Amino acid sequence: MTEDFANPWVYRLKWAYLLLIVTTLMIPVMYVMYISFNANGFGANAYDFTWEWYGLILKDKLLLNALRWTLSLSLVVTLVAVPFALLAAKYYKQASNKLFPIFLLLAPLFVPPDILGSALLVFFKNLNGAFEWLGALLGTSLFDGWFDLGFMTAVIGLIIYTIPYSFIVILITMGRYRSEQTEAARSCGADGWRAFWDIEFPQIRAGILSACSFTVILCFNEYTRTSLLKGGFDTFTTVLVSQMLNTGMSPQSYAMSSLVSFIAIALIGGIIIVTMIRSETLTRDARAKAEPVMS
Amino acid sequence: MTTLTPPAVEVRNLAKHYGSVVALKHVNLTIAAGEYFVLLGPSGGGKTTLLRTIGGFHKATSGDVLLHGRDVGHLPPDKRPTTMVFQAYALFPHMTVLGNVGYGLKVAGFSKRDVAEKSAAMLEMVGLKGFADRKPHELSGGQQQRVQLARAMVLDRDILLLDEPLAALDAQLRKDMCVELKHLQEKMGITFIHVTHNQEEAMTVADRIALVANGELVEHGRARDIYEAPQKRFTASFVGENNLLTGRVTDASGETMTVDVAGTSIAVLKRGHDVQAGQQVDLSIRSELVKLSPADVDGGVPDGHGTTGTYGESFYLGLTTSHLVRLPDGTEIVSREISEMIHNAPAPGAQVRLHWQADALRLHTS
Repeated sequence: MTEDFANPWVYRLKWAYLLLIVTTLMIPVMYVMYISFNANGFGANAYDFTWEWYGLILKDKLLLNALRWTLSLSLVVTLVAVPFALLAAKYYKQASNKLFPIFLLLAPLFVPPDILGSALLVFFKNLNGAFEWLGALLGTSLFDGWFDLGFMTAVIGLIIYTIPYSFIVILITMGRYRSEQTEAARSCGADGWRAFWDIEFPQIRAGILSACSFTVILCFNEYTRTSLLKGGFDTFTTVLVSQMLNTGMSPQSYAMSSLVSFIAIALIGGIIIVTMIRSETLTRDARAKAEPVMS
Repeated sequence: MTTLTPPAVEVRNLAKHYGSVVALKHVNLTIAAGEYFVLLGPSGGGKTTLLRTIGGFHKATSGDVLLHGRDVGHLPPDKRPTTMVFQAYALFPHMTVLGNVGYGLKVAGFSKRDVAEKSAAMLEMVGLKGFADRKPHELSGGQQQRVQLARAMVLDRDILLLDEPLAALDAQLRKDMCVELKHLQEKMGITFIHVTHNQEEAMTVADRIALVANGELVEHGRARDIYEAPQKRFTASFVGENNLLTGRVTDASGETMTVDVAGTSIAVLKRGHDVQAGQQVDLSIRSELVKLSPADVDGGVPDGHGTTGTYGESFYLGLTTSHLVRLPDGTEIVSREISEMIHNAPAPGAQVRLHWQADALRLHTS
């Protein structure tokens, strides 16, 4: 069926529907952004615009510390999870039996976060016990506390959580890559790494950067696993949630939430817009340059 | 004292297994330096596996690959004196045409100036001067394959592997490219090993052809010999338009034996084959060597060099027309002749006589 026969009102209705969905999803976030500029704080009837709460972020040690922890976590998780996901995607493309590896890689997505978090919690506790027993056996305290709750345990939990997302994002961009290009590079004298770096990487770079962005955003969003595995409510989301549950969020917390949301939306939006513009430019250039087929 | 130059490629007892699937069965092959060698065969026969094993993209399960006398079985593709042209999709889409052609030189450590000069010269050689700044997607299929050729040949390696390089092109372009490939090979003087399932393509370019099917090297030889004098039944069935007949030997004494085919005694030259009376044998004859005439006309052919059948139908193919004739046992024989030479085609159902020269029939015992 061609577009010629499509009802223009149905087309407009589809767009209106999409807009409604997105607006419904985004209204709470926009509301938080809105009240973060209110000098009278959350719940006040009067609205006076101010930048004050944003200025106070820099003086709020609790928030800054939380931000530092979360940034560190997201950086380490990204550095580990994305290369892992890349290797997994490369393996998956070459695997003859694809069902088993994809099941293994996507399984963490289907385990509820509280179950995965508490399972890891118990696992780390037992692992600690086993290491301490080994240390006692060898007469050393060298192995004590390796798996005490902290940065490393949170990193492990977040890696398990983020790898499936990175894997999927990278796999999608890899879908268009033809392995003949790697073979062609090899036949031109490039070794395996050089062929990857010169030929494959530039073509899947967008996917890898997107996977990095998603991983950072997921680390910022994550609450359950981080709260169970980090030990102490000192990351960005855990601080906000504990504030909300105990004393109510401070105005600067609203400001910080808005700032993080804005950066996340800008990042993902930016990736989408750049990708679309690039694709459109390439198509336009190709049309402009290509002459009638000359053999 | 003379020094023997080792062949460009020597394959000894090469086998390749994928689990229980046997892709290549103990293949032995020698290709001389400067030869245009074609691996011809049906899809899935093992010819691409053989080419890729020579190029280092597959590791042989057993056997040896020697390039210029040196065992390279343990070496990856980038360490072998070969380069390869792929069927399609192998240009680097993020690089310009010049970038593609110069990639191997860049990897080899040539200076930017040398890379640019050599690449430009090679582009000129393949007729793509002026296309240097284009991206691969801005080229036609034929132009893309020429870029692949330039990228491979600029490296100055003396063995070029071509894996169905023309398969994605339309018929006319494929013919033109065949001629270009042949001329380029003659100009460069290097060894080309070309895989194809298209016999016309193979005939156009090859100095020698090897038939590969079911993982085996069925037969190899000069293109003309493969076409005109196939030794194996498979070769006769795959190359040219051959009629395949099955019969039983009734008299095997002398240089010419007699074979009973569909109730007719047919004389066949033994050509050194060891055949016994009563043995079942296969015969082949190219359709253009089978002459057709009405049954009541004696074509002056000695007995044993023809048979009779019922005319079925004709197929106009442009230059030639194929006539289908059924023998009494249902076997179909095709007689092909130049369309312009046909004045009165027999009516369907008419009795016709098929006849041929004494040496036109080939005997196959394997």
